[in-house]
Amino acid sequence: MLELIPGRISEAGLLIIVSAVIYQLAKFASAKKLKTRNIPGLDRIDGWLKEAADLKRPVFFTPGTGSMGAPDTLAALTLLEYVAQRCVEYNAPLLVANSDPQVQQVTEEIVKKAYAKAGKEKEFTPDMVRYISTRQFAYAAGVMGILRREKPAVNFFVGDFQAEALQIAETGRADAIYQFGGTTNPDQLPFFATTCDQTLIGEELYTATGHLSSDPEAISELIGPDAGKILAILLILAGAVLVTFGNSILLTILGL
Amino acid sequence: MSSEKKKMTRGELGLQIVIFSLGVFYALVYYIAAPGVVDLQAVSDQLLSYITVVLTAAFGIGVINLTRVHVLNIKRKRATWRYSIILLISLYAMAVFTMIASPFALDPNSVVIPASDIQASTPIYEFLYYKILANINASIFSLLAFFIASAAYRAFKARSIESTILLVAGLLVILGQAPVADLIWPGFSIIRDWILAFPNTAGQRGILIGAALAIVVFSVRRLIRYPW
Repeated sequence: MLELIPGRISEAGLLIIVSAVIYQLAKFASAKKLKTRNIPGLDRIDGWLKEAADLKRPVFFTPGTGSMGAPDTLAALTLLEYVAQRCVEYNAPLLVANSDPQVQQVTEEIVKKAYAKAGKEKEFTPDMVRYISTRQFAYAAGVMGILRREKPAVNFFVGDFQAEALQIAETGRADAIYQFGGTTNPDQLPFFATTCDQTLIGEELYTATGHLSSDPEAISELIGPDAGKILAILLILAGAVLVTFGNSILLTILGL
Repeated sequence: MSSEKKKMTRGELGLQIVIFSLGVFYALVYYIAAPGVVDLQAVSDQLLSYITVVLTAAFGIGVINLTRVHVLNIKRKRATWRYSIILLISLYAMAVFTMIASPFALDPNSVVIPASDIQASTPIYEFLYYKILANINASIFSLLAFFIASAAYRAFKARSIESTILLVAGLLVILGQAPVADLIWPGFSIIRDWILAFPNTAGQRGILIGAALAIVVFSVRRLIRYPW
């Protein structure tokens, strides 16, 4: 028979409660198209892409070294969809570089689809979406080479990044007019924050789609985490107060 | 993002059902066991191993893309076409010698490839791997030190209150980390430990909690309806 794994019962309960609260709040907020907050810099993307098109310089996008199993990569691909559509609209040449062969297939499909959607299938060329290498520093060298040779006007480094983050962001800084970074990896975030004009920090990477969209379902991605954060703050406060007064009931429940 | 909601095609609906079923299965396997009936974890591991098959096929397509891009470079005599020739030769030479003489060789028992060819290829493979690839890899990694220096120079400019706080905190951590710090003043290492243990950890945990919540919402939405 089915049974809950001991030690994970509280996690399952917490997941159900958090999901239910997030769902209800997101439903309410998305029905009213209510956006809880602004993500600075996202509104400037369109302007940057238009500028790149005016200068006839490419727009560069890389989703990092993560595989299709990395949530950061999936979030990056959602942003790529937006960037690709806007690039096609403004006639800005787009260049995408990948480290993972599976991600390469998906990014190629996204860019191709953006061109097809605008009826410009013939303008898509295979060298717009490039596979570099799965080896971390071969990928870094490849991306650095593209950045120096092609001199993109706008660079997007969004996704799962490791030690190569600073190398490519610093190289991009030399020629790019604007740089846009984003990752949830706290070790790499400082590097993006110092080299990029705008950085999506942590959960902003996932909520960016909700901010850019007017689709109620997508807005739920912006509202949901905020609702969850309120719950987390309440839980942390309750835990701190209870433990301070010597009550460990919350610890016992969460340890189940 | 378009605001209009379009109906899913049949193919998309089928794929959505597969995504939902597998997503829910993997979520449940983490919380639920079925002892005596079926080893859910083993089923999950087996399904995961299929990813290797897909990944192998994707690798092939990746190599085709790389070849196509660089052959086009050469054909059109673009500015860096000479580098494309080097890349293609390196790519295929490394692939051939790896298949013949590496620890992952296709025919280590010489069933098809003569043993003499394997013996002749081994030093070439070792030269390519240990004398060229490993060194280039280390060199590119080492560049990081210089990039850190230039990024730190830019970050540590006191232009605003935030960057001044960053500058002061950074300097205190650097001083606390330096071997000579304790000789100057023992307080540097205490301050360093405090900065790393409290403000730094608090900030990192905040980022991780927020990201984890966002991943839950992001994943659930894709399980229910992928924004095709």
